[in-house]
Amino acid sequence: MSSQTADHTAIRIERLGKRFGAGPLVLDDVNLSIEAGEFVCLLGASGCGKSTLLNLIAGLDRPTAGTIDVPTQGAAVMFQESALMPWLTARQNVELALRLRGVPRAARRGGALELLDTVNLADAAEKRPHELSGGMRQRVALARALAQDRPVLLMDEPFAALDAITRDLLHEELERVWRRTGRTIVFVTHNVREAARLGQRVVLMSSRPGRVAGEWRIAETEGRRIESPEVAALSIEITTQLRKEIRRNAA
Amino acid sequence: MPHDALLEEPPGATTHPENDDLRSLEAGLDRLQTDADRAPNAWRRFTTSVVPPIVFVLALIAAWQLYVVITQPRPDLAPGPLEVAAAIGGAWESGRLQLAVATSLERGVLGFLIAVVVGTPLGLLLAEVKPLRRAIGPIISGLQVLPSVAWVPAAIIWFGLTDATVYFVVLMGAVPSIVNGLISGVDQVPPQLRRVGTVLGAGPGRLATLVVLPAALPGYVAGLKQGWAFSWRSLMAAEIIAVGGTIGFGLGSMLDQSRELADLAGVLATILVILAIGILIELVVFAPLERRMLRRRGLLQGGAR
Repeated sequence: MSSQTADHTAIRIERLGKRFGAGPLVLDDVNLSIEAGEFVCLLGASGCGKSTLLNLIAGLDRPTAGTIDVPTQGAAVMFQESALMPWLTARQNVELALRLRGVPRAARRGGALELLDTVNLADAAEKRPHELSGGMRQRVALARALAQDRPVLLMDEPFAALDAITRDLLHEELERVWRRTGRTIVFVTHNVREAARLGQRVVLMSSRPGRVAGEWRIAETEGRRIESPEVAALSIEITTQLRKEIRRNAA
Repeated sequence: MPHDALLEEPPGATTHPENDDLRSLEAGLDRLQTDADRAPNAWRRFTTSVVPPIVFVLALIAAWQLYVVITQPRPDLAPGPLEVAAAIGGAWESGRLQLAVATSLERGVLGFLIAVVVGTPLGLLLAEVKPLRRAIGPIISGLQVLPSVAWVPAAIIWFGLTDATVYFVVLMGAVPSIVNGLISGVDQVPPQLRRVGTVLGAGPGRLATLVVLPAALPGYVAGLKQGWAFSWRSLMAAEIIAVGGTIGFGLGSMLDQSRELADLAGVLATILVILAIGILIELVVFAPLERRMLRRRGLLQGGAR
């Protein structure tokens, strides 16, 4: 299922379909190809199967129909809950990822501290998750995902549970990390502004079954903020389309 | 290493003003959103958790002594604290107390350790293999309710009056508690931790040792604690009932001996020793272990414990 495609495509999804058991179709004929180093936001209302799609890309689940090509090295995943191990410190949580990746013991500590520094958390390395705020926990989770050293980073509504101020800062943090590490990022969200703020490309999905319903490409992404006028303008455009998709379910 | 290359700062990035701006912003928000460290106060813990039980026990002994002084009961039916203390002193001088405590503790601790070695893999197996659990789980829960003393007659028939009888009864008391504790601990492991473990690349073996077992530790320790209590109880019961043969002289045997001599002060003295050992093990072994574990995970409420 996973083989490196020749050109610059990192993830190629063709005619993908998914249903759970005998239930209704969750994803139907999804076609999407994502280039290496691209930042793609998957946007949709509840029930559009965006998390299912992410799990399929991550290899946590198998498709019913169609194919998914991902880089052989696989993908790192970040979830809405930070899901840090509560008995380990921030550093040990990152070290666990390094250990499971096969990094020798001697290199783990330095590697973990370096990664925590990328997310501005070098000072909190010896703190345990319960001593950290929600935003800090998500940054540790980001450092842990980076520790996996996979070319693709999948993010499932990672900032949905955070307050607006913290989320705003984490957007900047994530953008900075993305520019610095050149990762391919697939970011699932139901927040239109978040998608317009972060993505180079926003993919809108329809609900029940999930299909690709629209796509926007943003040429100039540097220096965007959540309050920027171009983000607002794009949000309005996407929202109009999103509402049209949602309304179709009423009929 | 590709990983280092990816993290390498592009030239001039550290001095980028917007980058520093984000750093200081984030540092400020982090400070606002976390509490300052609260150092645990040793004196406060002493006054709130050590002093109250000691005061209560002293008051209890004083009331007992007062009762004996006022009503002057027959000393063979209601001995005073002084007579009980004298009984403990007498048992110490004759060396019976040391022998009994050493014998019982050795059996209790050894039996408990065997129970841990048997119960832990069994519990892990039942927690992870659903068909096995459906088959064996209810029986283990049932065994936890069955008083392990009920096994004494059978054990005597099987093993005679030997140490094996005592250990068998202790195991039947402790293993179900440890197994059930571990199972409930594993059940309470948040599913997203397993998911993360899988995403990070852990196979079934490393998932169990690096994620599931540590995550299940609170339930496991609770099970161990209960397992110890059941070991100690079962041991005393077995020692009272099974006397003679090659079975050594434990606290239960000492209790039974005092009863035969109608020495109530001796009986009460032995009960107090058994109780004291139980409390001591709880305070010295399990309480610090539990407190440390819960504090690390942020599960400890307030500073009262």
